[in-house]
Amino acid sequence: MSVLALIERREMSPQIAKKSPSLRVLIVDDESLIRWSLAEVLLDAGHVVDEAADGASAVSLLSRGKSFDVVLLDYRLPDSNDLHLLETIRRLSPWSAVIMMTAFGTPEMMDGAKKLGAYRVVAKPFDVHDMARLVVEVPRPASDISRE
Amino acid sequence: MSQSHDEAARVLAAIVESSDDAIFTKDLEGIVLTWNRSAEQMYGYAAADIVGRSIGLLVPPGYPDEINGILKKIKGGERVRHYETARQTKDGRLIDVSLSISPIYDASGAVIGASTIARDITEKKRDIERLREGEARLRSIVDAAVDGIIVIDARGLIEAFNPGAERLFGYGSAEVIGRNVAMLMPAPYQAEHDGYMSRYLKTGEARIIGVGREVSALRKDGTTFPVHLSVGEMSLAGERKFTGILHDLSTRVQMEEKLREQASLVRLGEMAAVIAHEVKNPLAAVRGAIQVIGKRLPAGSREANVMTDIIARIDTLNQLVKDLLLFARPPKPNLVPLDVSTVLAGTIALLSQDAAHAGVSVTMTGKAPPVLADAELLKIVFTNLLVNSAQAMKGHGDVVVSVAVDDGACVVVVSDNGPGIPADVRERLFTPFFTTKARGTGLGLSTVKRLVEAHQGSIQVESPGTGGTRARVRLPLANL
Repeated sequence: MSVLALIERREMSPQIAKKSPSLRVLIVDDESLIRWSLAEVLLDAGHVVDEAADGASAVSLLSRGKSFDVVLLDYRLPDSNDLHLLETIRRLSPWSAVIMMTAFGTPEMMDGAKKLGAYRVVAKPFDVHDMARLVVEVPRPASDISRE
Repeated sequence: MSQSHDEAARVLAAIVESSDDAIFTKDLEGIVLTWNRSAEQMYGYAAADIVGRSIGLLVPPGYPDEINGILKKIKGGERVRHYETARQTKDGRLIDVSLSISPIYDASGAVIGASTIARDITEKKRDIERLREGEARLRSIVDAAVDGIIVIDARGLIEAFNPGAERLFGYGSAEVIGRNVAMLMPAPYQAEHDGYMSRYLKTGEARIIGVGREVSALRKDGTTFPVHLSVGEMSLAGERKFTGILHDLSTRVQMEEKLREQASLVRLGEMAAVIAHEVKNPLAAVRGAIQVIGKRLPAGSREANVMTDIIARIDTLNQLVKDLLLFARPPKPNLVPLDVSTVLAGTIALLSQDAAHAGVSVTMTGKAPPVLADAELLKIVFTNLLVNSAQAMKGHGDVVVSVAVDDGACVVVVSDNGPGIPADVRERLFTPFFTTKARGTGLGLSTVKRLVEAHQGSIQVESPGTGGTRARVRLPLANL
C-alpha cells in the first residue's frame, strides 16, 4: 500500500460518509502509528480527521476555533502526564466527547477522567475497529449549530 | 565434798557461765533449775525471773508444746541432738534455736533432770532461707526463660537443658543429658565441635565464648533454625563448664525475609508500571497498524492470515503484561458485601463455555453469609483455581466447590480428583514465576495469594499423597 494510495483514500472519505454520520474527530497521540491507524479506520468510516502529536498542538487547534465531535486523547503525551489537558479541552470544547486512551490506567486516574467529563477511558492496546464503533456511539448535542 | 571437787565444780560453772551457748537445766517436770548468762541474753529472762518456773514459758503461743515429748525421751535416758524449733523471748521476739538436751543422772543412776544447750540459729536459718530463695529464683528464671539454656562440661557432654531449650529443639532434657552437645548442630559443625572444644581448652583461643554469634541449630525432627548463641565459661568445684544461651531468630529471620519480599514486590510494582506503559503503548501502535494493513490485504490471502496471527501474538504479549501487572501491582480491592456463591456460579458458568473445560464437571455445595470482597478480583481468584484443577485433571474429572463458615470466616474449598501435587512442587506453589506447565508465567497462584491477602484472607493448598488437591480460601465475613 503506497503512501499515495493512503492519501487518495483520505480524499475519498467525504463520499463514503453518505451512509454513516460524518463526524469531526481529533486524534491526540504522540505515537505516529496510533494516529495513522486510527485515522485510517475513521477516514474509511467517512469521518473527518485531524491529528495532534502533543497537548500544545491539540489546544492550539481548539483555540483557533476548530470544532470536533470527538477527541481521542492519549493520557500520556510529551507535554502532559495528568488530567489537566483533559480539563482544558473540556473547557475549550465542552460539546466534544473525549475518549481517553491509556496504556496504564489507575482507578484514581479513571475516576478523575470520568469526573472531568471524559466519555470513556479505553485501555491500550485496543482494537481499532472497536474504537471506530465507539466514536459513532458517542452522544451528540441535538443541534449541530451550537458547535459552529 | 573435797576441796578438789569444789574446785572442779567452780571451773565447770565458770565454763558454763562464759559459754556463748545458752545452757540451762530443768527437772523432769520442766521447772528451770539453773540458767546461764547466755541464756539470759538469748531469751531475755534473768536467771532470777525464770528459775523455778516452767520452761514452757519459752514456747511461742500457738506452737505445739514439744517439751513433754522431749522430757519423756529424757526420762527414758535418751538424748536429743540438734533439735530445731522456735522459741519466744521475754520481749515477744521469735527466735530459731537448735537444742541439744541430755539427761542428768543422780548418784544412783536415776534421771533427775535435763541439761539443755541452746544455740540461736535465727541468722543461720535466715541465710539458708535466703540461699534457697535465691536458688529457687535462679531456677525459675532458667525454667521460665524463653531462650534455651544449655550447660555442658569440658568434654562437651550436656549437663543441663532448660525448658526453653526443650521447646526450641523438640528434645526432652532426659533425651539429651549426658550426650554430646554436637547432636544439636547441623553438619559440618556437628563433626567439628569436639575439635573446637579441645582447641579452646588447649590454647584458650576463643571463637565464640564471650562473643556470641548467629549459628544454625538442629531440631530433633532434622530441621534447622537460626539462633543467636552466646557462650559463657564457669568453674564449678574445680571443673570447667560452659553455658550456652540460645535465642531463637526464626521469627526475626522470617520477618526480615518477609520485609525483603515486600520491598522487592514494591520495586516490582514500580517496574511493572513502567513496563506496562512502555510496552503497551508500542503494542497498541503495532496492533493498530497491523489491523489497518491486514484489512487491506485480499481476504483469505496468506498475508491476511499472517496479519491475524500477528495480532493474536500481540494479544498474548499484552495478556502477559497484564498478568505481570496484576501480580506486581494488584488493584486495591473495592470491598463490598458479596454473596460468594453468586460470584462462584458466575465464574463456573463462564468457564463451562470454554471448550477446554468440556470434560470437567463442577458441583457447588454449601452456602455462607455475605463476604467483604471485590467481585472482579474474586472472579480472578476462582478462575485461577478452577483452571488449575481442570488442567491438573487434563480436562477430565470432577471439581467440587464447597462454601462454608468456619471460625467466623467464609471458607471456599476447590477440590479436584487430579493426580495431586508432589511435595517439592507444593513448597514452591506460591513462588512467583514458578511453573510446572510447558506454557505459563507461574504467576497464577502467587497472584491468587496476593489478591486473597489483599482481602485480609488466606489461602492454603493441600494435596495428600493419595492424589487430589484442595485449595482452601478463607475470606472475612461482611458482618465482622
